[in-house]
Amino acid sequence: MRQLEKLLRRLPARGFGYSTASGGWRSTVGLELHVQLLAKQKLFSAASAKWNDGPNTNVYMVDASIPGSLPRLNPHCVQLAARAILGLKGQVQPVSSFDRKHYFYLDQPLGYQITQQFFPIGKGGFIELGQAEGLGYSKKVHIHQLQLEQDTAKSIHDVYPGHVLADLNRAGVGLIEIVTRPDIETAEEAAQFVRKMQVLLRHIGVSNCNMEDGSMRCDVNVSVYRDGNDRLSGTRCELKNLNSLKVIRSAIDAEVSRQVGLLTAGKEVEQETRGFDARSGTTFLTRSKEAAPDYRYMPDPDIPEVHISRNWVEEVQRTLPELPEMTRERLKKQYNLTKEDIETMINEPGCVSFFEQLATTRDPKRVASWVTSEVFGQLSYRAQRLADSPLTVAQLGELLDSLANNAITSAQAKQLLIEFMDGETRSTAELIKAYGWKVLDDDSLIRQIAKDILDKHPKEVSGYLKGQARRLNFLIGKTMQATKGQARPQDVSRIVKELLESASAD
Amino acid sequence: MSFSRIPRRLVHHRCCLTTHSNSPPTVDSALETISQRNPSLNAFVTSRVPAELAETAVADGPLKGWPVGIKANIATVSNSDTDVTSCGSHALQSYKSPFQATVVDALERAGAVVMGKTNMDEFGMGSKNTYSIYGPARNPHTSEPQDKDPCQIYDRSPGGSSGGSAAAVASNMCRAALGSDTGGSVRLPAAWCGIVGFKPSYGRISRYGLVPYGSSLDTVGIMARSVQDVQQVFQAVSRPDTRDMTCMTELLRSRINMGSQSRPWAARLLSQNDMEAEKPLAGIRIGIPRECWVEELSASALDAWKQGAERLSALGCEIVAVSLPHLSNALPAYYTLALAEASSNLARYDGVRYGLRKEPGNRGPKNLDASRKYAETRSQGLGAEVQRRILLGTYVMSDAACRHFYLPSQRIRRVIQTEFDSVFALPNALSSEAFEKTLLDWASGGRSAGVDALLFPTATDTAPPLLEGREENTAASYVNDVMTVPANLAGIPAISVPVGHKDRMPIGLQLAAQYGDDELLLQIARYLGA
Repeated sequence: MRQLEKLLRRLPARGFGYSTASGGWRSTVGLELHVQLLAKQKLFSAASAKWNDGPNTNVYMVDASIPGSLPRLNPHCVQLAARAILGLKGQVQPVSSFDRKHYFYLDQPLGYQITQQFFPIGKGGFIELGQAEGLGYSKKVHIHQLQLEQDTAKSIHDVYPGHVLADLNRAGVGLIEIVTRPDIETAEEAAQFVRKMQVLLRHIGVSNCNMEDGSMRCDVNVSVYRDGNDRLSGTRCELKNLNSLKVIRSAIDAEVSRQVGLLTAGKEVEQETRGFDARSGTTFLTRSKEAAPDYRYMPDPDIPEVHISRNWVEEVQRTLPELPEMTRERLKKQYNLTKEDIETMINEPGCVSFFEQLATTRDPKRVASWVTSEVFGQLSYRAQRLADSPLTVAQLGELLDSLANNAITSAQAKQLLIEFMDGETRSTAELIKAYGWKVLDDDSLIRQIAKDILDKHPKEVSGYLKGQARRLNFLIGKTMQATKGQARPQDVSRIVKELLESASAD
Repeated sequence: MSFSRIPRRLVHHRCCLTTHSNSPPTVDSALETISQRNPSLNAFVTSRVPAELAETAVADGPLKGWPVGIKANIATVSNSDTDVTSCGSHALQSYKSPFQATVVDALERAGAVVMGKTNMDEFGMGSKNTYSIYGPARNPHTSEPQDKDPCQIYDRSPGGSSGGSAAAVASNMCRAALGSDTGGSVRLPAAWCGIVGFKPSYGRISRYGLVPYGSSLDTVGIMARSVQDVQQVFQAVSRPDTRDMTCMTELLRSRINMGSQSRPWAARLLSQNDMEAEKPLAGIRIGIPRECWVEELSASALDAWKQGAERLSALGCEIVAVSLPHLSNALPAYYTLALAEASSNLARYDGVRYGLRKEPGNRGPKNLDASRKYAETRSQGLGAEVQRRILLGTYVMSDAACRHFYLPSQRIRRVIQTEFDSVFALPNALSSEAFEKTLLDWASGGRSAGVDALLFPTATDTAPPLLEGREENTAASYVNDVMTVPANLAGIPAISVPVGHKDRMPIGLQLAAQYGDDELLLQIARYLGA
């Protein structure tokens, strides 16, 4: 299956879909990504940025636009934005400033959003797409600019009929908006670009980038042109609020198809804003050009220009972790991990470092398998991120060591892992003592127990001896049970087999 | 705004007001004066009652026991239900601030006692204090009857927008008052009411808690009967504040001080016994800006200006003419920028979180359309002048008009700033290179060409009658600000000092200095008053 998928992915090379299928039409795509910053406090207030706490609990004066209150720039947000632009290999601007973007809506308490329209903090940079993303070619998608801005409040409809509720927790949370140049040519490239951006921003600790909970949001500009024409000659439409990679792919394809349909029918594409209806797989008009608001951008007089020194930028650059491509290569070389394990770990913020701290003194393959299967199994069961789990490197390290030293069985180890992830703070040694666990490694004792089991189940024994191999697992299982899980499975298996062999020899 | 609320009343009982008692008011005497005079002057719109004041602990500081008035657009917190921060607006008529302005905290820490909130033009928008939900404040000074018909004698305007603060100080209802000055709102009423009004450099006093009008121009201002009182208040409230990013940092303050005080005459002027010297202002150069000699300037204002210059000259100042060629563009640029910022700053009064909220009438099947609610709330909550300014401000920011109004005004503002920099001897501390270079030059005995302060009228004439201009073109009333807006555009300190009278009405003169040069400007201003 996976092979087939890979093959299919490679097929739609440059000029996916309509470029070839529809009489020489090609598409041009640009993205605007809104990414919530992993800062503890809001962009312009000291209120907690946890927007999913109880409604209207994380609101300071300026978040509710209390008259006379003033914004105060959170330097951590500036640092995260700088990390992002450096991670994209762009440049932090020595001087940037904030502007007001005006519109009336109850999700905008100030009557304007504070953003960076004229002098953004970051410019330039790119993300490279290629083989690793399943493309049959490689290309760079360039970043036009990266700006800091405020998130809006949440408006809640339909809870009280006739009323719209406002939750100001999210009002003023720091975002970065990343605007690409129109370098993207296909829906697949767009989706792969977003995926790679997610990996990068998670990896450098800028954002969680979860499209499901809105910590990453995507708007897409799409236009089409006939092969041979200027690739920016088409009229573009903006698709707003695309909330998954799948939707990004489908929406772009649908919009390209709609525009090509209009043009081939001799009609014109109007510049407008559209949404995507996943059920019908089509885009629909949300705002025509005439209805486009005039945002009346104005430099924000409450916030002085931000001046950034070269030293400061160098300092941020120094604290930047290795970028994902390099990490991938290194993990492969240094630990010889599988591609799947590497991808899993790189996609989880903090995981690579978690793994490496464990792997320095232990068998990396074994550590990787525990992290990616056992720990991740628990995380996904709990719908939790590694960074939010109480599990520490020290805990898992001691656990793996106890397992390697045969102080506990793997069943016991898994039980302890669950307890650690539930918040248990005692050490593995303390827990072993508390539970009275010892590994049963006295062969004669195991042999005694196994003999009892065989005696009690003559039917299964004779069945096995007649060639029914599955009876073996039953007998091993029964014996393990009888040892209360304290014996190592490999020991039990060896002894049961020995006993059966001697029985058949009898 | 309805003018029917202005009583046409004889004013003889207030004629004695201009003779001030020499001892400054105490909390008790202020309470007494408020109860007697406020009903006719309408200076305080909320005032604290004796019982409440008795409960207030007074800090032991340099302003201990000073009764002070706070303009209604500066946030205060007290136990009183009537202590609203209304900004003179229906939209905030019963709005109680959840926090207190940094500047009020500082006053209270220095021992001042807040007597109440003072009248103002709604959100600071006006020059005569006529656009207030409380009705206008009135000028304690009244002119000699022009003829025998008593109906011809109308109350005079105290000026705006800080008219209540000016009237309160002038009538001894408090010893000092805070105002706000976006385009002259402290200096113009000070001049018209015969008191001292000081607009510090932008960023000297924290704006945290000042309800904004034009944030890049807004400054908290100080009003008192003497320059010495203004100085004492200024010392108590001119502090860095991390809650206001535009407030000067300690670093910038000490940098400016170093430059400002490195002039040879500075040490002498700052010492205590300078008043006794024969020529205490020797070495100081005062500039007379040619462009302030405008057509609208009345003969009495011009006379006062000349006399002021002669007085400073007699005290040792060198008087020179200077030119600020683009000063005539200041007024249109100011109104464009201030109104643009106002349209932005006042967008928050939508009735969603606080303040007045109005539902639209039954004009539609279901009133779920939020924009109609906003429109109704804002149409009813904001007065005619505020609406006019918001509309103008919205227009000059619009896509179509921005290039013709907003952007050129920004350029004019920068040109005017540069022109001010070019006439002052002290370089602007915000341009580090010039600042360092000049200081080095001074250290080696050099002397800059520029002036240390500028002298020009505060207003083109004395306070007009309140009822004048009722049917007039609004734009004409904006001309009142022609002398005061340049200092706001440039962010420089300026002070209006009373220098004389015409027909018993006070006249004020302004002194302005380089950005940050507040302390020495105040020292010079002490000599200007009559």
